[in-house]
Amino acid sequence: MTAISPETADAAAILDRVEASLKNDLVPVEIFNDEAVFRAEIEQIFTKCWVFVAHESEIPKPGDFVQRRIGLDPVIVTRDGKGGINVLSNYCRHRGTQVCQTDAGNSRFFKCPYHGWTYSNNGDLVGTPHMHDAYGERLDPKAWGLIRAPRVATRQGFVFASLDPDGPSLDEYLGGAGWMLDLIVGLAPGGMRVAGPPERYRLRADWKTAAENFAGDGYHVDTLHWSVEEVAVAQGMQATCEIARIYEFENGHAFAGHAWTKAIHPGYVLWGYAPEITQHFDLSGLDEAQLHVVNHEPPSVGTIFPNLSFIRLNTPSVPGGPMSVITSFRQWQPIGPGEIELWNWQFVWDFMSEDEARDSYVNGQFTFGSAGIFEQDDTVAWEGAPRAARSPWMRKAGMEFHLQQGNNSQVDQSHDPSWTGPGRKRNTGYGEHAQLHFYRHWLNVMRGNTGAGTEGAESA
Amino acid sequence: MTTTETPRIVPPVSANPELQALATQFLALEARLLDEGREEEWYGLLDDELLYTVPIRQAAEPRSQEIDRNAFRVRDTKAHVRTRLDRLNTDHAYSEIPPSRTLRIVGSVEVEEIDRPDVIKVSSALLVYRQRGIDPHFDLIPCRRYDQLRLTPSGPRLLSREIVLTETALATPNLGVFL
Ligand code: FES
Ligand SMILES: [Fe+2]
Repeated sequence: MTAISPETADAAAILDRVEASLKNDLVPVEIFNDEAVFRAEIEQIFTKCWVFVAHESEIPKPGDFVQRRIGLDPVIVTRDGKGGINVLSNYCRHRGTQVCQTDAGNSRFFKCPYHGWTYSNNGDLVGTPHMHDAYGERLDPKAWGLIRAPRVATRQGFVFASLDPDGPSLDEYLGGAGWMLDLIVGLAPGGMRVAGPPERYRLRADWKTAAENFAGDGYHVDTLHWSVEEVAVAQGMQATCEIARIYEFENGHAFAGHAWTKAIHPGYVLWGYAPEITQHFDLSGLDEAQLHVVNHEPPSVGTIFPNLSFIRLNTPSVPGGPMSVITSFRQWQPIGPGEIELWNWQFVWDFMSEDEARDSYVNGQFTFGSAGIFEQDDTVAWEGAPRAARSPWMRKAGMEFHLQQGNNSQVDQSHDPSWTGPGRKRNTGYGEHAQLHFYRHWLNVMRGNTGAGTEGAESA
Repeated sequence: MTTTETPRIVPPVSANPELQALATQFLALEARLLDEGREEEWYGLLDDELLYTVPIRQAAEPRSQEIDRNAFRVRDTKAHVRTRLDRLNTDHAYSEIPPSRTLRIVGSVEVEEIDRPDVIKVSSALLVYRQRGIDPHFDLIPCRRYDQLRLTPSGPRLLSREIVLTETALATPNLGVFL
């Protein structure tokens, strides 16, 4: 454990309780809505882990930029004139005014509205009004440039930034999650691109609740989302956990897949993608375990720690309509204790025609989006935890959430001994192991253990 | 990105007061049916060719780039709306159990005739007050709507509706209510 700063002092006592609870597969309620815990999360997690900021397809041309967040901080993600990607803090070096007031655009410069300091889209300070009289000489463009995220790296076009100058590289950090990302979006030359800008909606939910759900909460599907089965947009929900496969990787990442070829029919490979889509696939770059995964037990959901999640499902837009596989990536942006903005991007294959891309986009939104017939119900189910967390009564009562599902279950939840891919695999969705994995890693990182290889203490 | 079409200046009072009254009445009826939980009756006011869209809005300069008409929160045909209603009718669409208590305030109705004799364009402002379940708070959903109504012998039918949200980030957790 590393030193706890004054801001995280109160959180330390809570973390001790989390540690004790987690030993019993329990999670104390107070972490879902607490000033000190939230501050500590921003400090310990969002300023240290690799955090997703944009997809390269959002900024294809020189000058393109999008405004994003790393924890609470606004950052401008730019494509500069040399094609480089920059992640720049959106605070003017002169007095802190935000130099970019838009969510997206194309510009070579960002001019501060206050006194006019002007920055190039690579972050350099390139202009100061009345330079001669005001400063006598040029200010050093780098020394007084916008403060940059110390490290920026990409995987499959996903741009991540780390505010920690040290620590594992992105590829090391992602580990098995990167291997999974490769087989999710890297199946065709050109991969996937965003179908549009993120749609944003504010939830009175904690980011951890959303992240753990997408890590592999198959257990809620045939209850919370049962209405979708009733209207015949989904089928066979009751088997969600039974046919689930849980993939746990170092650094808190977890995915849940489904054994479709076993459950539906042997030909139901590759998520059930139609031949018009799979004809573009080139699986030659996949290793043996990846080939097995994409064909037989492909990931349906997943969370890359801390707050990037993914979902892919095969669904008709309307009952009886043609099936199509949709892919959404979503980010749970913390905006305060127990509150997030959900940022949702639909992804489409780069090779898709405009019509194909639009159909997939619309279908994705119809299921997972602010008006999605699945997602609507998640958004409000998640509101309970922060309310309970704020309750003096619940805190006094020592309320803990129950993650002991697997403890007495007769279902075999052990690691698959034949698994040759990275991390660990279990052949059931029962046991809440993906969620326990998430919370155990959360505790580690909150305690200052961010490096790889800290999972030894985690669950068997 | 698509730019906003140049807004045509329409006179504050429609050249045709009858059409103005018809459109205003239609929007008021629609709003009341939805507020009163009479979605099936509201459904009867939708044209078979309905296209109901909520494009994505972002802070952008110039302002004409704020609305991306190729980016959607929602892009529904009538079949999509049917599925949504069927789902609400299952009694298991938990976000809307009990249904949100809503009040739709419709105003600033402007009517424009186009070159199709059976179709008019209607724009309106809408503010939806929404109180969900046992929420101690309420949400507001402000938007502007650009509709096309088809005039049929049995009355106007909603042919298309584009909903331009006032906000870039929704302050309500979902669009489980119709706008
Ligand atoms: S605060 Fe930006 S120029 Fe002064
Ligand atoms: Fe869900």
